[in-house]
This record gives sequence, C-alpha cells and structure tokens, in this order.
Amino acid sequence: MMNFFYTYQSLFDHILVNALLAMSQYVVLRAGVFSLGSAGFAALGAYCTAILITAQAWPPVAAIAAGTVLGTTASALLALPLARLRGVFQAVATLAFVQIVLSATQNWESLTHGALGINGIPHVAGTATLLGVVVVVVLLLVTMGRFGLGRAMDVIREDEMVAVSLGISVPYIQRFAFILSGALAGMAGGLHATSSYAITPNDYGFGLLVAALAMVVLGGRTSVWGALVGAVVLISLPELFRVFADYRNVVQGILLMTVIIYLPRGVADTLISMLRDRRLRHEVVPEKP
Amino acid sequence: MRPTLELENVSRHFGGVPAVDGLSLSVPAGQITGLIGPNGAGKTTVVNLITGLLHLTSGRVLLDGNDVSRAEAPELARAGVARTFQNIRLLPDASVLDNVLSGFHRHERVGLWANLLGLPSARIETAHLKEEAMQLVERFGMTNLAKHRAGGLSYGHQRRIEVMRALAMKPRLILLDEPVAGMNDAEAESLSSIFRSVAAEGVALLLIEHNMRFVMSLCSHLYVVAAGRLIAQGDPQKVSSDPIVVQAYLGS
Repeated sequence: MMNFFYTYQSLFDHILVNALLAMSQYVVLRAGVFSLGSAGFAALGAYCTAILITAQAWPPVAAIAAGTVLGTTASALLALPLARLRGVFQAVATLAFVQIVLSATQNWESLTHGALGINGIPHVAGTATLLGVVVVVVLLLVTMGRFGLGRAMDVIREDEMVAVSLGISVPYIQRFAFILSGALAGMAGGLHATSSYAITPNDYGFGLLVAALAMVVLGGRTSVWGALVGAVVLISLPELFRVFADYRNVVQGILLMTVIIYLPRGVADTLISMLRDRRLRHEVVPEKP
Repeated sequence: MRPTLELENVSRHFGGVPAVDGLSLSVPAGQITGLIGPNGAGKTTVVNLITGLLHLTSGRVLLDGNDVSRAEAPELARAGVARTFQNIRLLPDASVLDNVLSGFHRHERVGLWANLLGLPSARIETAHLKEEAMQLVERFGMTNLAKHRAGGLSYGHQRRIEVMRALAMKPRLILLDEPVAGMNDAEAESLSSIFRSVAAEGVALLLIEHNMRFVMSLCSHLYVVAAGRLIAQGDPQKVSSDPIVVQAYLGS
C-alpha cells in the first residue's frame, strides 16, 4: 500500500493542486460568471511565491500567503471592468488578462527569468499540506452552497431575469464569486510553486486555462464534487494510460466530447441527481386527489 | 387611502412603435385588479415596466405614492414588488423547496462571510426560512413533492411553484402574468381561492389574463387594453358587456 502511495505521490500532489484550480473555476461558473481568469491568477500566485522565496528569502508560508493576496487583489481589480460585461465577453476579457500575465512572465526577465522560469524553489508543500488545504476549501464551498449565498448564485446562473426580479444584486454576488475565485487560484499557484521545485511560463498558459475549464465541465458545474471528480479524472487518466502518452491531448479531447454529449451535466452532477431521484422513488407517497 | 400601485399616462415605445400608449391604472391593496386584452395588447410589457425590467418612454409609476419610474428591477423587488412569469421561469434542476426558498432573498439579513463560513446565524436563518417555505408548499398542497425536481413536474405544478416563489417575497404588490394558463378548471379554482386569501391579507394583486371567465369571477375592477391603449375599465359585469371590448376580443 505504502509503495503504491510513494509511486504515485507526485501524481497525487498534482491532482490536489489542480483540484484547487478547478474549484476556483467552479466558484465563478456557479455564480454565472464566464471567467477564464483562473490560470492567470494562478500564475500571479505562483510567481509571487517563487520570487519572494528565492530572491527575497521570505519564509514559504508568508510567500504563499502573499501569492494568495496578489491573486485576490488582481481579481478584485479585474472585477470592476468585468461587471459591465456579460457571457462570452467576460470570457474574452479574462482571456486577455491571462495573456497579459503570461507575456509578463515570459518577458520581464529581470524578475521572472523569462522562459527559463524559476528554479530551486524549496519543496515545502507536501501531500499532507495540500490535502489539508483542499479539504478546508471543499468544506468552505460546500457550506457556501447550503445557505442564501449559494441559492442566490444558483438563481443568477440559471436565469438572471428571475434573479433581478427576486431582488438579488447580480453584480455584488458575481464580484464576490470572482474575487473568491482569484484567491483560490492565487493560493493554488503558490502551492504549485512550492510543490514542484521549478516553474516556467508554460505551466500557466493556454493549457492550464483549458484544463481548469475541462475539469469542471467533466465533473459537473453545480456541486463542488464535480470540480474534485474532474480534477481526479483529467489528471490521473493520462498517467494511467502512459502507453498513449503521445496521444494525450487526443485522449483528453475524446473524453471531454464524450462527457459533453452523453453527460452534459458532468459526471458528478449526473450521479448526484440519479441518487436523489432513486431516494425519492423509495419514499414516494401517493398524491392526494 | 392611496392605491398601492398607480400608473400615470405610461408609454413605452420600441423604435417608434408604441407597445404601451398613455396607460393609466391603479391597483389598490386588498383587492384583485384585472388587466385583460387580446394577445399582443402589451400586457406583459406593462408587467416589465412596473417591475423595472423595461424603462418608461414617458409617464410615471408610483408605488405607495413614491415615484419609482426610474428604479431598477432589484430595487423594486426589494421594495416588495413580486411577479410570476408568463413563460414559466423556474430553476428546473433545483427542488420545489429550493425554488420557493429563493423567493425569500429580500428577507435574508445574514452577510456573505457568515454564509461562507456557515456561522450559526446563517444556519438559523436558513432553517427558519425552510420552515416558512414548507408552510407555503403545504398551503399549495404540494408537501409530498417538496423534494422533487421542479423541472420534472406538470405544468400546473410549475405554475404553482412560480406563485409560491412570489409569495415567499411577502410582497405588497404581486403581478400575476397569466397564472392559470394551461391549467384545468379545478386547478385554476384552487389557485383563485389562494389569490383571494392573499388579497384578504392586504396585498395588492394585478392579474394579467386573456381568459375572460377566470377574471370575471375573481377581479373587483378590470382594465381592458388593446394595441397598448386602455379601451375600457370598470367592474367585470359592465366591461364584459361593453361593445368595444367585445369587438376587440372577437374582431369586427
């Protein structure tokens, strides 16, 4: 058992970091914001953490906290212009943000060492730390979904016209979701930097943006479990089928298309609603005439 | 006493075409007022104007005497204006109970952080609202369906959920946009007794319909619109025998 664990430890760490990123994507989608910004906030968090540790000799915990704060601040600033946009325009605006961050990491060589990236980051975020953080974030997001805030987010996502007719302040709730998403992505970035020895701009490019979105679509958009399931499936499948390594992107694409066509609500959401329907059938009471 | 809602000479044009043209009406508290007219008369536009989803081209809307002509939809909802939608707009994948719960939004007082951290204040509030929502569900005879997916229920049930969600707002004014469309007579009758009891609690109801028979039995005052204009008003008996109304409905 322990041997199995050590063999796959790095894969497990990778899944946990990506689960955080998926949850950052999940939060915005749940509130009906079509943001692709998570990859950009993760890059900010990762570079901030890595630079503070390697160049400024900050204690790692403080550096990760600073990375999280930077992700939060950036999302809070970006939320202002974003509130005026809707749907696909939000996607384009956040995509532009990711591009800006990316070209900064590639070209601001004095700070980021350009394409070489930053090496020699101490490996301080172990499996236990990552697992702890993921558990706390899952608990937080599950809790959020159970009360008024979660209900308001659901209404906004499903039907904005109903939301305003119920007195829900759409910009306020969406801004909150977006900032929370930035905080989670910033933290995911900081933890990624401190669990992988080195980071390069390529780690946070278009690939990560697509992965964050794919994990949530694969798992399901309405519950936190969707993001978790998506991270586990999307990150572990290519590792388990190493023989197809050359076709990694093809396999991923086929997997996504299959899920979108046959399980449009995602793996976890479909399972959850199936279980709920079954439970209801068991306790069904004949309706009064 | 001032009526809860007053429209003064309200017009709304779409690119020069008047959808609503110089309409004045008032909806007093404790009564059911009817707004009827043939298809395309501008009835739903009137609802969208009152709820702030559309803005007036000219005229004034007064809510309890306050000018709300420029107010946005969320402000009006928070001021106690509730509505149902002609084309049902529920959260299809959410349960009946969750749909009703969403209507309580304007009464929620717990802040974002308490929600995020699940503080006792948020727990108590949601438990309390769930109780109230269950009472509403019971009043509409849907207790055994409370946990079911709203999207999987019949048309009549979905219409009732819309009304429950509006009542959950504990509004001072409810705009009912064809609430019994697609319902059978028994279902419509049970809903109209609920509307009467809501009116008896002092709420102002504006019922938008084109089903004359249903409106006749329920409303104390009727307004008839055709092509965006008011063509008749008065008590149901008088209106239904008005030759102009008959002509608008049946054509000449």
